[in-house]
Amino acid sequence: MDENSPLDPPEGDWWNRTVNRRETIWLGLSGAWALSLFGWMLGWTRAGEQNQIGPTYRVSPDAFQAKVAEYKNAAGALDVDGESLLVPQGKDVYLGALQWAWDGLPAILQPGETYRFHLGSYDVQHGLSIRRATNLSQQISLQVLPGYEWVVEMSFDDPGTYHVICNEFCGTGHRSMHGRFVVREHDPGEARRPDGDSAGNAAYGGWFTGDAKGGATENYGGSTADETGSDEVTVTVGAEGNGGTFAFDPPAVAVSPGTTITFEWVSDNHNVLVESRPDGAGWEGHDGLEGEGFSVDHTFETEGVYTYYCQPHLSMGMKGAVEVK
Amino acid sequence: MFGLSTFEYDDDGFRTCGVTGLDVHESAEDMVKLYGLTAIVALLIGGIFAFFVAMTRWELIGLLNPSDFYRYLSVHAWYLLIFWMVFMEIAILYVGGPFVLGRRLSLPWLAKAAYGLMVVGAVVITYGIWTQSVPDQAPLLTSYAPLPSPASFYLGVDVFLIGALVAALPFLATVWREQREHPSKTLPLITFGAFITSIVAAEAIIGGLVTFVPALLWRVGWIPHIDAAWYREMYWIVGHGTQQINLLAMITIWYFMTHVVGGAEVASEKVSRFAFVLYLFFINMGAAHHLLSDPAVGTVWRMWNTSYAAYGAVLASMIHAFAIPAGLEAGRRRKGKGGGLFGWLWSAPWKDPGFSATILSIILFGFLGGITGVMMGQMQLNMTWHNTLAVPGHFHATVATGTTLAFMGLGYYVVRLVFGREWVGGILASIQPYLYGGAMGVTVLMMMYLGVLFGVPRRHPSVMDIPGTEFSFAVARPFFAIFGITATLAILGGALFVLIAVASLLAGTAFTGDPRIEALRAAADGGDRADAPHHQSMRGTFIFTLLFLGTFVVLWALNWLLLSQVWKVGP
Repeated sequence: MDENSPLDPPEGDWWNRTVNRRETIWLGLSGAWALSLFGWMLGWTRAGEQNQIGPTYRVSPDAFQAKVAEYKNAAGALDVDGESLLVPQGKDVYLGALQWAWDGLPAILQPGETYRFHLGSYDVQHGLSIRRATNLSQQISLQVLPGYEWVVEMSFDDPGTYHVICNEFCGTGHRSMHGRFVVREHDPGEARRPDGDSAGNAAYGGWFTGDAKGGATENYGGSTADETGSDEVTVTVGAEGNGGTFAFDPPAVAVSPGTTITFEWVSDNHNVLVESRPDGAGWEGHDGLEGEGFSVDHTFETEGVYTYYCQPHLSMGMKGAVEVK
Repeated sequence: MFGLSTFEYDDDGFRTCGVTGLDVHESAEDMVKLYGLTAIVALLIGGIFAFFVAMTRWELIGLLNPSDFYRYLSVHAWYLLIFWMVFMEIAILYVGGPFVLGRRLSLPWLAKAAYGLMVVGAVVITYGIWTQSVPDQAPLLTSYAPLPSPASFYLGVDVFLIGALVAALPFLATVWREQREHPSKTLPLITFGAFITSIVAAEAIIGGLVTFVPALLWRVGWIPHIDAAWYREMYWIVGHGTQQINLLAMITIWYFMTHVVGGAEVASEKVSRFAFVLYLFFINMGAAHHLLSDPAVGTVWRMWNTSYAAYGAVLASMIHAFAIPAGLEAGRRRKGKGGGLFGWLWSAPWKDPGFSATILSIILFGFLGGITGVMMGQMQLNMTWHNTLAVPGHFHATVATGTTLAFMGLGYYVVRLVFGREWVGGILASIQPYLYGGAMGVTVLMMMYLGVLFGVPRRHPSVMDIPGTEFSFAVARPFFAIFGITATLAILGGALFVLIAVASLLAGTAFTGDPRIEALRAAADGGDRADAPHHQSMRGTFIFTLLFLGTFVVLWALNWLLLSQVWKVGP
């Protein structure tokens, strides 16, 4: 029997047996190193410039969504390279994560300005992952949770484009979740009111503007597809538009009484909720979240205007209307 | 069991192992075979899925579409991170308890019942993942609420966890009976390590039930709401806890294998046991490093859990990092197997896959897995690691190189010492650990580079083509090419292990002893009693550990340098 084997019980007073000098030195080195790691981390909160520290508030996803909508309504817009960028009015920047987009982007920020980023989610967990376009090594990630609003200050000295992706798995469309903001000197006075006040958008009681429930519907250009006389009409659910696959296409359609409209899902995670309908109409929409390939139809008999929306993507402006005449 | 063994038991059901000298009882050996072989089946399935996952992320191949990718990734994660590991760990408990103590397995019927529960749980989990459809999503490993996973998945997890908890009871009962019979006797170090492993495992599993039972109730509608932050905090008790079982089981295996195959002795019982006790108290809190970039936990909470608490565990790992090679050095010097600085290493049995797998496991775990774990466990550095491909890089370094290699090394000796079969394959068996460990080592390095230097996200089927934008990670393409090639080699290396193990069981000749191991035992018996291990020179080990610390410091400094280049974040 080998008394120094790990397979046998140690004999005698093993607790007081001498420890090899080099092993003792190593213990000391290890302990000192652990203390140094700790000290450095603490010191960095004082002297370092990168600390993911900031207040967190409990807020329901709906309430956070309303805050982002309010922020977007107050913000200006600036056209840069053919794209309309949100101009924050003040030092607060809101980012709402949803399946599968970043609400509040694209935006433009002033270099050197310290912004308070308000991070939250409308549905599931997401990962805010920001990198500078010209140097991918400059990148950070922060977890975004539904039910919590995290306020983290950030300031960007280097002008340029910063790309935002989601790096927490949030469903099948996860990989498509991209947004960006631009850091560039600009005159906030140049910013105009955001889209949504063109004449055509007054239609349907302003349903497609940001003044009604949810965001402005960008894929609604002011005209209604005229399908009166057709027996069957198709509206795609989750078509390209509104900053992702967040559109009903066509957003507004006119049909004759007795027409059957088929709603066809072409991307995942959408539903159809009825906002308003004529008296006596029985259309209930479809409140279950469905994916690509799903379809549902309804025959519209009662004349009048029906408005509806997709609940997860209301803030992105995923709204529609049916006019029966 | 299985009729594959060449050994005979005496009338009491015992036999004496010719290599380790342990008295092994049939009741324990049957369960080690059962759990061990099931683990290897899980390794095989998980390895096949690894191929699909790696070949999708290497977008030159781009094997799977997104929804299939998440499904395959979920299967890969559960089979390798959970089933391969946990089945093997139960086998290790039964080796560390009954085998080492020379006892029969207490409550063997409970071990069988637990096995049944675990298998049923694993099958139900697989069913849940495989049949998942919208609105449910693939669970991956984490199934982060409120993203819904199939109800059957949560149910399967609950059943599996209960099974694993029950499977630890026969081990604990065996240790209990030993202590009742010999109250003044100290447990052997291996049994002590296995005992600490079982406690850490029980903590992890209870955390898992606290997470997954409410998750199931929420999914079937009995609980209206589940808080995302609460879920994360509870989930990581089991999510990281299971990986800490791997760590402890692996370290126990390191002590076991370096002793059996390399002639290692215990450099200091006190120091090694102290390190295990540190794990007991601190390692579970280390799981907090998953929440370092989370909104819902405060700064003090994050600092405490990842500094004092985590460094208690880091210290323990650094102690083992010295104690295990030192035990090997001292043991071999004492047996006349090493002169000079590194003679004890040059003379070691490097062609023995049990030995080489163990040593590669120690080196790769320490340099690649351990150091990176501490990096991302620093609160601020975590921002540059969180949710990037560097995180899977880290845990493939710990689990796929470290633990898996250690378990492969043990697996070779299960074939020899439990089934009594010599390995088939000759030179192939000798090179297998180098092929697997080398290729996997490069693979994880690429994943870490991609994550930290390019911010490539984890859990993405396509980063070269992000729908709806021009932006992509195309500059990272060369790293993905190396990743793809080495991942393929690593998977082949893993397949080679399964092939050798299975072929040896079916067609191997009877194992009649290894002359090198016999020579070690002869030297141990004839050794000079006064010449204790702690009097041996440990200068070779000291140089290695200094090299390790130097690497640690350099990589740590580089990570902070990279972070300091980022824009200003926080107050």
